[in-house]
Amino acid sequence: MPSIYVNIFLAFIFALLGMLIYRSHLMSSLLCLEGMMLSLFILITLTALNMHFTLSFMFPIVLLVFAACEAAIGLALLVMVSNTYGMDYVQNLNLLQC
Amino acid sequence: MTYMVFLLSVMFVIGFVGFASKPSPIYGGLGLIVSGGVGCGIILSFGGSFLGLMMFLIYLGGMLVVFGYTTAMATEEYPETWGSNIMILSMFVLGVLLEAGLVMFMAVSDEVEVVVSFKNMGDWVIFEGDEVGLIREDSMGVAALYSYGSWLMVVAGWSLFVSIFIVIEITRGG
Repeated sequence: MPSIYVNIFLAFIFALLGMLIYRSHLMSSLLCLEGMMLSLFILITLTALNMHFTLSFMFPIVLLVFAACEAAIGLALLVMVSNTYGMDYVQNLNLLQC
Repeated sequence: MTYMVFLLSVMFVIGFVGFASKPSPIYGGLGLIVSGGVGCGIILSFGGSFLGLMMFLIYLGGMLVVFGYTTAMATEEYPETWGSNIMILSMFVLGVLLEAGLVMFMAVSDEVEVVVSFKNMGDWVIFEGDEVGLIREDSMGVAALYSYGSWLMVVAGWSLFVSIFIVIEITRGG
C-alpha cells in the first residue's frame, strides 16, 4: 500500500476526533464532518487512480453528492438552532435534562 | 523531489489538525479550504485532473461557500483564532508533533506497519490490462455514471431533490 495512505487515514482520524469532541460551536463539528468526507473522497480517488479501476471513479462523485445533501441538512438544522437561540452554541441544546 | 506527494499529504494532515483543534468556525473553514486545495494537488499528482477540478468546483466552490456564509451569519463578535486560546494552540501543536513523529518514523524505517504495511515499493506495481487506446480514465469513469450507473444516477438525483424539500421543511420553522 502506498505510504501516502497513512497520512490520509491519519487525517480522517483527526477529523473524526474533532467531530466527537465538542467545544462551544455546533458549526465546528459540521466542519469536521466535511473534513471526513474530504479525506474519504481523496482516499477513494487515489485508490482508483493507483489500481486503474476506471469504473469505480463513479464512487467519489456519488460520495460528494451525498456529502452535499448531508451538509445542506446539517446547515439547515444549525440555522434553525441559531434562529431560536441566537447563537449555535452546543450548551443551548439542553431541553433533554437527564 | 521524489517525496513531493508525501510532503503534500503532510500539509494535508496539518490543515486537518488546524480545523480539528476547533478554533472559531471561520478559521476552521480556512483550514478546510487549505486542505481541500492541497488534496486537489495530491489527486493531480496521480493524474486525476477531472476529479481535482471536480473537487475545486463542487467542494470548495459550492459546499464551502455555503459553509462560509452560514458561519458569517451565526458567528460571534470576537472569533477565537489559534493563538488566542492556549487550548487550541496546544491541540494544534500536539497534532503537528504527532505528524512530525510519523514522518520521522517513515524517514527512518521506510515502512509503517499498523494493520497493513505502508511501503513505498507498492507504487512500482503496474497492473496491466487490455489496451484500450488513449482514454482519460477519470473522465471516462465518471461518464460511466450515465451508462453503467444509470440507476445510481437516478437514486442520487432523486435524493438531492428530496433533500431540498427536507431543507425547506426544516427551515419552515414554527
